[in-house]
Amino acid sequence: MAKGNKLDLAPSRKDQRTFGQYVLWLILFIFTLFCFLPVLLVFIAAFTDEKYITQHGFSFFPKVWSMVGFNSVMRYGAQLGRSYYVTILVTVVGTLMGLLFMSMYAYAISRKDFRLSRFLSVYLLIPMLFNGGQLSGYIIFTTYYNLKDSLWLLILPLCVTTMNVIILRTYIVNSIPSELMEAAKIDGAGEYRTFFQITLPLMKPSLAAVGFMMATAYWNDWQNALLYITSDNKKPLQLLLVNIQKSIEFLLNNSNVPASVRAAMGGTIPQYSATMATVIVVIGPIMVVYPFFQKYFIKGLTVGSVKG
Amino acid sequence: MKGFLANTWKHRAHVVLALPVFLILFFIMYVPMTGLVMAFKDYKTTLGIYKSPWNGLENFKFLIASKKIFITMTRNTILYYFLFTTIGTFLNVTLAIAIDQLVFKKAAKTMQTLMIIPVFISYAAVQFIVYAFISTDTGLLNKTFGLSTRFYSTASLWPWILLIVKIWKDTGYGSVLYMSVLAGIDSALYEAAEIDGANKWQSIWHITLPSLVPMITVMLLLSVGSIMKSDTGLFYQVTRNSGVLYDKTQVIDSYVLNAIFKNSNFGFTAATSFFQSIVGLLLMLLANFTVKKIEPENALF
Repeated sequence: MAKGNKLDLAPSRKDQRTFGQYVLWLILFIFTLFCFLPVLLVFIAAFTDEKYITQHGFSFFPKVWSMVGFNSVMRYGAQLGRSYYVTILVTVVGTLMGLLFMSMYAYAISRKDFRLSRFLSVYLLIPMLFNGGQLSGYIIFTTYYNLKDSLWLLILPLCVTTMNVIILRTYIVNSIPSELMEAAKIDGAGEYRTFFQITLPLMKPSLAAVGFMMATAYWNDWQNALLYITSDNKKPLQLLLVNIQKSIEFLLNNSNVPASVRAAMGGTIPQYSATMATVIVVIGPIMVVYPFFQKYFIKGLTVGSVKG
Repeated sequence: MKGFLANTWKHRAHVVLALPVFLILFFIMYVPMTGLVMAFKDYKTTLGIYKSPWNGLENFKFLIASKKIFITMTRNTILYYFLFTTIGTFLNVTLAIAIDQLVFKKAAKTMQTLMIIPVFISYAAVQFIVYAFISTDTGLLNKTFGLSTRFYSTASLWPWILLIVKIWKDTGYGSVLYMSVLAGIDSALYEAAEIDGANKWQSIWHITLPSLVPMITVMLLLSVGSIMKSDTGLFYQVTRNSGVLYDKTQVIDSYVLNAIFKNSNFGFTAATSFFQSIVGLLLMLLANFTVKKIEPENALF
């Protein structure tokens, strides 16, 4: 960095390092700590000795460390593997399907002399203004579509969002020159070929940004799982977390649970460090992947209006 | 009409491309809209939504009769919306400008990366992090300051807790959108201002802020439609759905979720949902109409 300064095209950069800049740096640094320390606490707590937490509480500087938390996560064994599989399956299928379908729709409504596109834009916009609410969605999906305990209910509700189609459409209109598409047509490419071989590859930056946000939404979805999934072999990771919390709640609210029941539950009473280790297992993959996608955020996420 | 059909036929490939999303929206978003008629029916599980007998405004009478629950959750929903939107927008914009102004670019990038992390943590996981801070016996706050506050049964503390969690989770990511706008401002504008003798604050006030106004308007406009909706995870998971806290934490969405799980009060819940959808729609139309009158460029449709 020090070496680079000599070659810097803006030589005034160094002069800008005023007192105010250091104050600004400090304020931002404090806010960064506010955002990051709670995440750090999860990691520390996962490696803290269980007895230490019960006696001294959660701490950034525990005196006794331990690996027991992670070992007890392995207690979930097969279920954990199964849940990972379900979460990954739903995330991958949902994201790819959503990206493909939404790009197709975005491309169609951005065609200039396509008269139906006005109707299709309004059709897209209405669900953002008005919806049936959770209750009627729940009843219709489970009793009329008969999809209770189906992975489709984890995939379809998050697959298409008006906002994402708008982002993709805006990117097509603003960043992909229409001359390219016209040239392809003159060269004899059909409509489908033009879209799949010219437009879709050029949409990469916005697909990466939207795709990552969709993948996060799928990965983090606990609500649809809690509402619709009942069998163990379809439980995604988030539902494991919710179940841990429910069993803690059960023990807290029922202090008169007979000792024999407690003993029977002995193996499953969630411990603090084990819970935090589970949290890491659940949020870990996103933390690892996220820095690689960060650069696309600013490029890809530009919201426009759905006019025209 | 003939021209329209001919045009559609000419673009049949585009119709095919639009079809999958059309169908998904139809089955996932449009069909449930018809379920709102439940608000005017005496819902029987065995008969389903459409065959259950009509009962006029019975459900709404019930709503008014038990108005305490209804008023509490509506009040909470709206107040939290305003609290989160005003403070959230202010912090998002401030953070975007602050990061943009910092000359230590490498530090700015690293700090931004760390600030965005919380948005990727689900509320199912967040509630454990919050618990680590505020649990009565083992919480970091109680232990550090030698207190014994019972957070999970003290309702009056929760507006603060929820606000802090919300700021923690969403501010870093919320600022990214505004940063993308700032990246697009022509630097010649700043140089010209500097030559004319403007100081930092003046150029922020006269160049940076005005260029953010369209984005702020669009984002506010988009959020108006969800006044009656809430971040369910925040109110259901983070509060551990604790009944003692409902007075300050129950919002319409978490009430409906509870009703579904308890399989009860569907009439009351349907009436609430109906109210929620209609009010959301009206507010959205009103907001767009207002923006259109003042600054047609920024209107959504």
